[in-house]
Amino acid sequence: MPALIEVADLVKEFRSFRRGEGVASAFRALFVRQYTTLRAVDSISFRIPAGEMVGYIGPNGAGKSTTIKMLTGILMPTTGSVVSNGYQPFAQRAQYTRTIGAVFGQRTQLWWDIAVVESFRLLKNIYGVTDADYTARMKRFDEVLEIGRYLHQPVRKLSLGERMRCDVAAALLHHPPLLFLDEPTIGLDIVAKDRIREFLKHINRQNGTTILLTTHDLADIEELCARLMVIDKGKLLFDGPLVELKRRLWRENTVKFEVKDREQAQRLESLGLPGVTPERVSELSVRLHFPREMQATAEVIRKVLNAVEVTDIAIEEQSIDDVVKEIYTGSALTHR
Amino acid sequence: MEMRRYLSLLGQYSLQYAKVRMEHRWDFFISVFTMTLATVFGLAVVFLIFGRAREMNGWSFDELLFLYGFSLIPMALFNVISVNLYQFADQYLIQGKFDRVLLRPVHSLFQILFEQLRIEALGDAVLGLAIVGVCGPRLGVHAEPGSVAFLVVAVFCGALLYTAIFTILATVSFWWEDKVGVMPPVYNLIVFGRYPLDIYNGFLRVLLSWVIPFGFATFYPAAAVLRGEAYRVYGWLLPVVTGVFCMMALWVWERGVRSYSSTGS
Repeated sequence: MPALIEVADLVKEFRSFRRGEGVASAFRALFVRQYTTLRAVDSISFRIPAGEMVGYIGPNGAGKSTTIKMLTGILMPTTGSVVSNGYQPFAQRAQYTRTIGAVFGQRTQLWWDIAVVESFRLLKNIYGVTDADYTARMKRFDEVLEIGRYLHQPVRKLSLGERMRCDVAAALLHHPPLLFLDEPTIGLDIVAKDRIREFLKHINRQNGTTILLTTHDLADIEELCARLMVIDKGKLLFDGPLVELKRRLWRENTVKFEVKDREQAQRLESLGLPGVTPERVSELSVRLHFPREMQATAEVIRKVLNAVEVTDIAIEEQSIDDVVKEIYTGSALTHR
Repeated sequence: MEMRRYLSLLGQYSLQYAKVRMEHRWDFFISVFTMTLATVFGLAVVFLIFGRAREMNGWSFDELLFLYGFSLIPMALFNVISVNLYQFADQYLIQGKFDRVLLRPVHSLFQILFEQLRIEALGDAVLGLAIVGVCGPRLGVHAEPGSVAFLVVAVFCGALLYTAIFTILATVSFWWEDKVGVMPPVYNLIVFGRYPLDIYNGFLRVLLSWVIPFGFATFYPAAAVLRGEAYRVYGWLLPVVTGVFCMMALWVWERGVRSYSSTGS
């Protein structure tokens, strides 16, 4: 399948002047400015085929938003190339923006002071959506996102969750084949998050809309994205399926056993299974750690059950949060 | 086709904007009040200073009034769309609203200029027309097709010229992110263009004619109508100067958008 988005050696540098402290240096800054160059995105390459839903994650300041802004044509790349929907986003912005939708969670794309429905009408005219399409799509949006109730309120009076639903609908009014979302679930409650996720799944399945989203909420990724890209300090650290990421970083399995009495706990502790490290959690519970690749979890459990009287077992999955924390703090992927 | 789309968008924007303004109607009334007050003071200055002298550097009081009245009209048209240019650095660049503008398939400058309209500014145009209508015939300028057509073209060129100059100034903020920018001092120069340029020294005259040519938006076309001969050449130059500045504005704007760096998030 031909790639819908093709990014090669993309770089974005920002030049900003260094502000010193104190009045004297502020005065000096009036005349002589010292500049520092920051490489926010550092030669990134990837391709996304049509119909994929891709999650783009990384800590604050990693370069996620900067990448999205280059992909949407807001920022001009310093070097490197982007071809998306067959266009160069920045150079051919006028044509390109007709073929994409974009939602920036931190900031609304709607007009602040006018009723939501007026914003939609303006967008309808800007994108040249026909009356029939407009009516049909608004009906659809109302069914899935339930935005009908606050269409007549100005955007500034909506709650964050309501506003976000309107923003997502607005980004899709012209039926773009490609949708960018920059933190679409930030600050939303669980119900609102669910709504948005369901809707994204729906349009991806129904219309084959390609979706690239950044997020801090890993549940977004688990629920939506088969593919994941991890960026930190401007560099792409990982690009692949979520299971692959887990496989690579998931080094250790843990199983927690509740036992009948102290004696059993001690017996479990001193069982001495090869490669397994016991950890006494409390009086009647012991956790066993063992390397993923050496021991099958079932095998360990069977051996324990044969030797110890166990009342309860909990297999502790390492959450994707932990996996990502490991990437962020230890940059585990770079030292593999 | 593209032209029609932009015209229809312009209609839409004005309609939306009118609705917003009606919601905040006290805002609107206060704005009308302050603008009227400013105009009245400006006019009072002309009466106080020149009313006594009756003449200045060979320009009669009626002529001065005509110049002043005419200068109000292109300025009023420009003021209808100028709000966002003044706020551009703060609202669009520093607060990052420009992202939204760039995501729409409509020219970014068009969106900036027409997203907020100050319709009440047209009050000045009405006053200006009245002054021109009263003083013109007294000075032998009658409503003949020739002079009317010239003045209409001059008004639009003048408004375009202001727009181009202030667009260039707003664009500076792409590189220097300062809230206030360079606009206020330049804005204050506009008043000088309301009086005959030959009362000033050479520096100011050259500045207002060829560097920041406010003289072309106000004094030169009015003088061309009043005095003919001596100023006719400036009348012909007006569309040229306007065209050059519009092209410069568009060029600088495109350069600015290329170095737009958005906000952190």
